[in-house]
Amino acid sequence: MCALAHYLEEEGVPAVAISLIRLHSEKVRPPRAMWVPFELGRPLGPPRNEQFQVKVITAALRLLEASAGPVILEDFPEDDPTAVGIAGWNPPFDLAPGEIDVANRAALERALREEIRAVAPFHARFVASNGRTMVGLSGRGVDECATLLADFLAGTPSAASDPAVSPVQVLRWAVDDLKSYYLEAMAADGAVPSSRQMQAWFWDRTLLARAIIALRRQLLASEDQRSQAIGRMNLVPGAQVQRLGLS
Amino acid sequence: MVRMTDLPPATQTGMANLECPSFETTPFVSGPALARRRVAIVTSAGLVRRGERPFVSGNTDYRVLPADTPPDQIVMSHVSVNFDRTGFERDINVVFPIERLRAMAAAGTIGSVAATHYSFMGASDPRGMEMQVREVAGRLKSDRVDAVLLTPV
Repeated sequence: MCALAHYLEEEGVPAVAISLIRLHSEKVRPPRAMWVPFELGRPLGPPRNEQFQVKVITAALRLLEASAGPVILEDFPEDDPTAVGIAGWNPPFDLAPGEIDVANRAALERALREEIRAVAPFHARFVASNGRTMVGLSGRGVDECATLLADFLAGTPSAASDPAVSPVQVLRWAVDDLKSYYLEAMAADGAVPSSRQMQAWFWDRTLLARAIIALRRQLLASEDQRSQAIGRMNLVPGAQVQRLGLS
Repeated sequence: MVRMTDLPPATQTGMANLECPSFETTPFVSGPALARRRVAIVTSAGLVRRGERPFVSGNTDYRVLPADTPPDQIVMSHVSVNFDRTGFERDINVVFPIERLRAMAAAGTIGSVAATHYSFMGASDPRGMEMQVREVAGRLKSDRVDAVLLTPV
């Protein structure tokens, strides 16, 4: 972001960057940046907290009025009040994931679809109250995403409908859709757990997570460099790789 | 509070060792008071309009996000899994604060909200985005924008 601020400013467009990694802003030295003490992915802080978010935006934009630059790097002084989570939190549903057998494509697809059916009412409730969903990157329904995942794990990947896009890339988008579907359903009751709590529950308690971990293992063993890269970087968060002791 | 030390060791190392561009110049453009500025969002969150081609690794191009795009038509296609998405899932303004800017314009804190906003995908080297950012600058000037809020993930 800080480099983009530099290029914009060179073109005569005043810019202020919100910074999540202070070290990077110190290195790049953009015209103006405001570091915020929020987790990665939340540059404006807590969701659904208009007052707090406006405070962050106003503090950042006020730097445009400062004459002390070039190179202004200030710190936003308040923490995200929701970052601590909720003691003892659980989502509004429970699942009973069994072991998966990637070689049995039909059984895996059936088990994934059954789990999706259990999650579905809660996802519908989330969408009704939230007014939007992030599911939709792959352009496929979640059942079809599950089929795609089962096919891939069984070694029979479907061809991509767009020949310019590799099947493993489509699979990554399908996995992103499935993860969003579950994580949104987990927030259906409006509680505000920390993202760390939600991630831990998802990766510990769902069949989908077990399938994604199996997919990661499979892609890492692939001879195709793009598959290896997606397996290494685009499926399981580094924090979960560490927490679950995945190699 | 989230600090570098809260991140997994591998992520900390990656962040600390990430090669960042350095510049010999320090451009600094002044402008009117905030209450008279026209504000645009440029994000590196990999946002796309639903049905648009998602970003993939190495992409340095950008997507156009008209201000009147309904929030349910914007999805995130950033390639990294090492940041939280649940905040954005619950509230688009966590990353793309379009509704907050509208409220600030209505309250007179800022002058107006740009007609168009832009998204890059931040996992790519920003030096590869230079030409595209300069192109976006031209578009922003055509829209009379004189304040850009840059949001990462």
